[in-house]
Amino acid sequence: MSRPEVRQWPPAEEPGPDLAASLAQVARGDHRAFELVYGELAGPVYGVVRQVLRDPAQSEEVAQEVLLEIWRSASRFDPARGSAAAWALTIAHRRAVDRVRAENASSRREQKAAPAPDDGDVAEVVATTLEHQRVRRCLGGLTELQRESIKLAYYGGYTYPQVAELLGVAVGTVKTRIRDGLIRMRDCLEVTW
Amino acid sequence: MKIRRDDLHVLTGSYALDAVSDAEREQFERHLRHCPSCAAEVRGLRETAARLAMTRAVPPPARMEQRVLAATYRTRQLPPLIPEHRARVPWPLAARPLPRPLPGRPLSRPFAGRSLPRRAAALAATASMTGAVALGVAQLTTRHQPQQAAVARVMGAPDARVETTGASGGRVTVVVSAALREAVVSATGMAALPAGRVYQVWVMGPSGARSAGLLHGQLLASGLRPADRIGITVEPPGGTMRPTTPPVAVLPA
Repeated sequence: MSRPEVRQWPPAEEPGPDLAASLAQVARGDHRAFELVYGELAGPVYGVVRQVLRDPAQSEEVAQEVLLEIWRSASRFDPARGSAAAWALTIAHRRAVDRVRAENASSRREQKAAPAPDDGDVAEVVATTLEHQRVRRCLGGLTELQRESIKLAYYGGYTYPQVAELLGVAVGTVKTRIRDGLIRMRDCLEVTW
Repeated sequence: MKIRRDDLHVLTGSYALDAVSDAEREQFERHLRHCPSCAAEVRGLRETAARLAMTRAVPPPARMEQRVLAATYRTRQLPPLIPEHRARVPWPLAARPLPRPLPGRPLSRPFAGRSLPRRAAALAATASMTGAVALGVAQLTTRHQPQQAAVARVMGAPDARVETTGASGGRVTVVVSAALREAVVSATGMAALPAGRVYQVWVMGPSGARSAGLLHGQLLASGLRPADRIGITVEPPGGTMRPTTPPVAVLPA
């Protein structure tokens, strides 16, 4: 019986290298350290970019830009201000969102109809790791409106006024639900920053 | 649009998810500098967003790694911020990154294709800092180190391009200038060989392979012709006249 291959990311439940220390080496031009960083971050970076952009070719291009940006600006990573993964994934998500907004702007100019919002998940990754299960459980603990607002904003790459439009609720409501929901997620996940 | 100050505090969540307009982002980042409690909240929410991102991780296409690693060899890194400036710069994007593609124009494809004539100028600019490049390309101790001038010449050539591939647990990198018909070969992290074995570098052409020397640090291969490739094999001490084992790495030259 053939089953579709379920690939797990990170590849195994093993303690990864210390990303913050590796980034400090990368900042000094260490290509070997960058390979380690690439190994740890390429999957999450590509994944989140693809979640937002959907198009695989475009996602690959943006993910490459992001990973090169990590090389380029490694010296700007400050371990006092957050984890290495959050630093990298913030860059990745923002770059993906910037791309979406730039394209929306150009398609408006060309009088094109906006593509229908697609709320399906790209390649819904099987929650194989404990960490994934935990995130899923914490999302499940939010109110429907909090959860939908966060998912549309982060995974969908929409602005909060766009989220409000999609959900048919007031802009101010979405803004507070996103914040309340994220705070709840933070506490549920026991994020320590 | 001006946002009321009270409303700004509520924006921490939307800001952490990049769900704000560019104008709001800038306004909020100005606000963050004077609102330590907002900044602290943003930090925690950003970490939370990162956890959301991690669940979406998928293995990227395999070709991506080589392209990105090759690109690092021709991309100068930003200098660190000195402490007095650090607090003033929004984190994590302490510097505005590479220019964004302009709306309505074809998106650039900086990594498309193997040969990189369009990026040659940028590469040349980067590579002209020969000291830094040489440091980055080869981290092995060098015994048969070619003259730095020759290496610098290849690195700084306007048509120089970078090829890289994994080999024996490490990585082989070749910087090639077709115009100079020269290449600089280097490797990092390759498996140590049993006593009595060495890595030998070959220029492999249609009419056979000729030795470019044993792999120690940086090695200069000269007299390249268009169809040549660079190969690496494992050979007896001192090397051989002809490859006697299948190559552990082959790269276009």
